Amino acid sequence: MSWEMVAGLETHVELSTKTKIFCQCTTEFGGDSNTHCCPVCIGLPGTLPKLNKAVVEYAVKAGLATNCRIRNISKMDRKNYVYPDLPKAYQISQYDKPLCESGYIALSSGKNINITRIHIEEDAGKLIHERGDTYIDYNRGGVPLIEIVSEPDIRSIEEAVEYIEKLRLIMKYIGVSDVKMQEGSLRCDVNISVRKNGEEKFGTRAEIKNMNSLNFIAKAMEYEFNRQVDILENGGCVVQETRRYNAEQNTTESMRSKEDADDYRYFRDPDLVTIAISEDEIKNIKKSLPELPGEKLKRFTEEFALPFDDAELLTKYKKIAEYFERSCKDVTNKKLVSNYILGQMFRRLQTDTEKEEFSIKISPEQLNELVLLTENKKLSSNMARNVLEQMLDTGKSVMSFISESDMEGIDEGDLRAICEKAVANNQKAAEEYKNGKEKAIGSIIGFIMKETKGKADAAKATEIVKELILKN
Amino acid sequence: MITRDDIIKIARLAKLSVEDDEIEALTHDMAEIIGFADTISSAVQDGFEDFDDINNITNAFHEDEVQESFDRELILKNRDGGEQGCFLVKKRSGRIK
Amino acid sequence: MSKITYIGKLLRDKEISCTELTEKYIMSIEAENKKLNAYVNITAETAMRTAKDVDGKISRGEILLPLEGIPMTLKDNISTKDIETTCCSNILKGYVPIYDATVWNVLKNQNAVLLGKANMDEFAMGSSCETSCFGGALNPYSTSHVAGGSSGGAAAAVAGNIAVYGLGSDTGGSVRQPASFCGLVGLKPTYGTVSRYGLIAYASSLDQIGPITTSVEDAAIVYDAISIYDKNDATSQGSRKKTTDTLKNNIKGIKIGIAKEYFEGIRDDVKESIESAMKVYESLGAEVVSISLPQLKHALPVYYILACAEASSNLGRYDGIRYGYRTPSYNDINDMICKTRSEGFGKEVKRRIMLGTYVLSAGYYDAYYKKAQQLRGALVDSFKDAFKKCDVIISPTVPMTAFELNFTQKDPIETYMTDILTVPVNIAGLPAVSVPCGFDDKGLPIGMQIIGNSFDDAKILNAAYQYEQVVKNHIYKELQTGVRL
Ligand SMILES: [Mg+2]
Ligand SMILES: [Zn+2]
Repeated sequence: MSWEMVAGLETHVELSTKTKIFCQCTTEFGGDSNTHCCPVCIGLPGTLPKLNKAVVEYAVKAGLATNCRIRNISKMDRKNYVYPDLPKAYQISQYDKPLCESGYIALSSGKNINITRIHIEEDAGKLIHERGDTYIDYNRGGVPLIEIVSEPDIRSIEEAVEYIEKLRLIMKYIGVSDVKMQEGSLRCDVNISVRKNGEEKFGTRAEIKNMNSLNFIAKAMEYEFNRQVDILENGGCVVQETRRYNAEQNTTESMRSKEDADDYRYFRDPDLVTIAISEDEIKNIKKSLPELPGEKLKRFTEEFALPFDDAELLTKYKKIAEYFERSCKDVTNKKLVSNYILGQMFRRLQTDTEKEEFSIKISPEQLNELVLLTENKKLSSNMARNVLEQMLDTGKSVMSFISESDMEGIDEGDLRAICEKAVANNQKAAEEYKNGKEKAIGSIIGFIMKETKGKADAAKATEIVKELILKN
Repeated sequence: MITRDDIIKIARLAKLSVEDDEIEALTHDMAEIIGFADTISSAVQDGFEDFDDINNITNAFHEDEVQESFDRELILKNRDGGEQGCFLVKKRSGRIK
Repeated sequence: MSKITYIGKLLRDKEISCTELTEKYIMSIEAENKKLNAYVNITAETAMRTAKDVDGKISRGEILLPLEGIPMTLKDNISTKDIETTCCSNILKGYVPIYDATVWNVLKNQNAVLLGKANMDEFAMGSSCETSCFGGALNPYSTSHVAGGSSGGAAAAVAGNIAVYGLGSDTGGSVRQPASFCGLVGLKPTYGTVSRYGLIAYASSLDQIGPITTSVEDAAIVYDAISIYDKNDATSQGSRKKTTDTLKNNIKGIKIGIAKEYFEGIRDDVKESIESAMKVYESLGAEVVSISLPQLKHALPVYYILACAEASSNLGRYDGIRYGYRTPSYNDINDMICKTRSEGFGKEVKRRIMLGTYVLSAGYYDAYYKKAQQLRGALVDSFKDAFKKCDVIISPTVPMTAFELNFTQKDPIETYMTDILTVPVNIAGLPAVSVPCGFDDKGLPIGMQIIGNSFDDAKILNAAYQYEQVVKNHIYKELQTGVRL
């Protein structure tokens, strides 16, 4: 019997506004405990919230970038529950009138994952448990979040991961969040159930709370899928409950029993007023959106004629995509630029974070200068490669490493003479090549490069050398 | 009709511990008050709209500009200065009956 | 001349120094408060320090603002930095705010002399002041009667002349009812004109801070000082104009609405007092018109549903973690929270939290909370219609006079019923003022309520002032307890 996974995601994204959602304390990550706090965000009696204008704007941006409809009239509600990290005993969130509704994210397969809603709300504080004692730090309390709720459209771990990655990239592109998963600025709850293949009806779902790594999400989904299938195959029933992922044991475990089922007693927060957004304002925010990753990818493959894989790598990081475009100025063969970035530059950026930050010593203008010289055949590609290494080491421009004579190039007659000399001096390699050992040609080309101080066009030289060997 | 179980459930939501001997009286009191509130159910007629805000104000926002937070000593002032800069709740305390 | 104006003149004319004045008030508090229990915390040092500053200004010949140097009190649910603020609840005993409520900030900047924090029903839930964890405030007219509630302490202090004026909060009548019981003027302003920032919330959509004074003019002076826009309160708008500017205008031709719904179940002597007040108005050239407020009968259940629902949420934060009472013995955090709340809150507060939790809970929200909100909208409309026919609406403030002690302990519903005349304006966000209009046969004051349309605070104060000028001699004379000199 084969089973199908059905999953929906609730993704919490911390917004990168300067101030908290209801007060003007900083949202900066870290800081000594309880130093980013004021009477409002620790919920002192008598304090009142006031909504951060930028939070609304950012959320509308997120909605527009994920194809949502934006509500003209919205409001804030109280979600009541008592927990030590929630100083007012209610979270100010949105219940029945979320800012954004009915959007979607397109996966590379062409399938859309529908987005039910995006609403704004406040983050809670942080609890630190030590030997059973509870220490509470409210620095995070009141940091603005958007909660992006998907439809149960996800059918596999791969889809879930791609959905999150796409979402993350979009948020990054539009600049509403730094989406650093390790700092918890993107967290997911996964609602997951299973059903027999071909069945219409959804099974009973479990919700796995608060995961902030793609790896954990994938593992938790896998574990949970198998757990539920096991239960059902043994004639049992899945219980609707909230579970947590245990990373050490790679399992999910029940968090609370059904008896304590939540009853949040939502009602409109009387301390906050109606949020009204006009069509004009929505239009203006839409205009302010940058090109989104999907659109960029399309343009890179269609207009820039890049292979899909290259374009995907380049658009995966916002800074790199921007760097690439600026380096492309007046360049006809965009693939040349892409090669330098994805080759030599990427070798220097091992981790995802390094790629994300893309702190490279040379400016896109400096790379552009180098590429143009190569494209106009002033520099051989080999030479360009060497120079680029030096540029990346020092941050200096291309002209610091080459002279006028370097740019003169070698005319074809001279190159042919050098090639003949190279073959003559490397008889053994020539013989091996002739006998089918492709690699042998390398030492001959190496000889030529040494002779020409790298000025020779490697491709051209290879062509001539092959011709010479085969002619003999 | 409000029941004993309702009272237990509400008390749990409201984070109030209700002793067994209080439940009876509370159920009675609550039933009376709820009964009094019940008179509104027939008063609502078709076409009554949801009420939202008394003065119909919209968009009262704060600007996204950072203001200095409070000193931590002040934040923790009403909990004896806290511990390690945090509010602290010990695992358990005092004599347990 | 109103009391605030008169004392201000004495200070300016150097007839008395602010220090002397303040000392006299503090001395009389020491003598009278044992009897009245009006103050739960006396802030003599703060008061004397401010008085000194005021005297400094006077000696330097600087101009004094209207409330400068005037001794006053604040209800104990108004946050005062460095001064304990308890809402008269055990759960907040020892709590010292680290910030000032906006109203107090405004008055502090005017060198108002804070004599102390005034007694109140616990978290403003009550109408006799008797739910206070410090015991109730008593009525200066008869100490076997309550001062009223919830702002009973402020009313007792002003009527007992141990404060010139007080600020209370009015969620369902908590300024007007004690003012009525103590023969004072109590103003519940239009919702949104006075900042709620720093007012410890009972029911946020209904709460409004207002003055309790010995005259309408004083109420206008205090209201003008505190009704300013506050960026810390999203519902704040400030007042549209100074009420003192139009206070003394002629009221010839204004239309006074009388709704029969406001006179059902009212004690006869109270009804008669209002009827004779109408004669006064007619003599002033006002026209009395009869109007109808069909939604009024639902106001009371609507009020209790909405107020308790909001309260259940507002009072969730008293969990013993960050401030206030924490139970000494518990098993774990959840147990700590439940015990703290059960031990820290009084009976009436717990009752309202339970009710509020119930009406919001799954399965009951639609039957209670949602319906109450819909009726709220209908009541707003019904007032809107009424104000097409009249300028102000007049009713009694309370169906009776001050309760005897322990009256409210007997039956919660019977007690709730006494709020029937005051709650409608909170539900509709309207301004209303209670002014004294007579006495019952025990010599207890009777209050008249003048209700205005939204933002017509100036209009109701004007109407109240003109009435007061006429009856001054036979009603106010007995009320005016003079200046402590
Ligand atoms: Mg949420
Ligand atoms: Zn803050």
